[in-house]
Amino acid sequence: MLELENVSKRYRDGQRERIVLNDVSLEIGAGELVAVWGTRRSGRTTLLRIAAGIEAPDSGSVRFQGHDLAGGEQRSLGEGIGFVRKRLRGNEEQDVLEQVAAPLLARGVSVERARELAREALSRAGAQECLTSRVSELGSGETLRVALARTLCLSPALLVLDEPVATVELGERDEILALLRTLARDGVAVLFSAGEPSELAGAQRALTLGEGELRGPRAQELAPVVALRRRGV
Amino acid sequence: MGAGSGRAQALPAMHSPVNWALLGLVIERPSYAYELAHRFERTYEGALSLSSVSHVYTALATLRERELVEEVPGTQGALRSRRRYQATTEGLLEHEQWLVGQVSEERRRQRLLVTQLGALARTPERAIEVLDAYERACLAELASAPAAGEATPGTTGLVARLSAEETRLSVAAKIAWAQYARVQLRSLADGKSAAPAADG
Repeated sequence: MLELENVSKRYRDGQRERIVLNDVSLEIGAGELVAVWGTRRSGRTTLLRIAAGIEAPDSGSVRFQGHDLAGGEQRSLGEGIGFVRKRLRGNEEQDVLEQVAAPLLARGVSVERARELAREALSRAGAQECLTSRVSELGSGETLRVALARTLCLSPALLVLDEPVATVELGERDEILALLRTLARDGVAVLFSAGEPSELAGAQRALTLGEGELRGPRAQELAPVVALRRRGV
Repeated sequence: MGAGSGRAQALPAMHSPVNWALLGLVIERPSYAYELAHRFERTYEGALSLSSVSHVYTALATLRERELVEEVPGTQGALRSRRRYQATTEGLLEHEQWLVGQVSEERRRQRLLVTQLGALARTPERAIEVLDAYERACLAELASAPAAGEATPGTTGLVARLSAEETRLSVAAKIAWAQYARVQLRSLADGKSAAPAADG
């Protein structure tokens, strides 16, 4: 579904040039849950932004469902790829339902249908109890679930999340990781970054990023395990 | 160690993890040998294995000789398969000491790994290769471990939840250490002095 091949990215840091990603390759299939951990400034957010088509690499190719993202062949963000932000943008006093329905309304969906889809997405994200809350009233875990629902409204095939459990409480961490696994079992490909290596637990494939290199097992090595898990074994 | 008889105290230390694991099951609840074999398979699947049911009888004989288990009153002298075993006070104490001793055993194994890696410091590129393989093994371990959030609720899933959390924390620490060690080895390979710590 998503293929990054020999992707490199450099940033200018004053007089120095910093290599963030150096010839990185990564494949993610439908229904796979992949987590990446690296220390601060390791480039994990850059990797996610490139995977989501938000940022272009300096070199290498990024293909989503066979289309080239890096070359701008297709605008996939919001059309197949969902990038979940930790914070909800917009009016803090807005109702959660309005927040979640907003991307659908922006795409011309009728108000009634948008609200129906938003309710479904909130339920799928385990945030149905937040339906009538205001954005300013949400806790960190609830904010993430609502942000996730907002993205799920658009039925993405690939979900990209930047440190989804970084600010949530310990008890809720497991629930959110379980939610991501459920989404993966439903066939959504999920890529997320971890602020701590312990947050890698529960992913089907755990990777580390450091000094521009992505390390860990390749998709093929874990293919039988992924297949068994999808069958609930 | 303990207050067992002189004969039991004179025996050399018991190293078999199967024997200690079996003692743990007997402590949990008195059982017949056949039942113990089944419980052993269910509890330690993937971590320890028995060669056959007769392995349980051999282990129970060792535990009895050391006065760590005894036959439940009323089943003594019955056919071997009809005897039930329970832990002695000595068994409870020694099992607790063995469990606590695993902390230093784990540390000893980790120190051994670090020392072995340090022995490759003359060829840092080779040491980095070993480190990469070590990190991959840790990442695979994390991915294959059950998630704490999905373990069965209640006391039945307690072991699964504790195991998942222990794996998560201990393997995560190893992954963080591997990143740190790689930075140090890379600096050595490049002829630079290593940074005091990896950038958090």
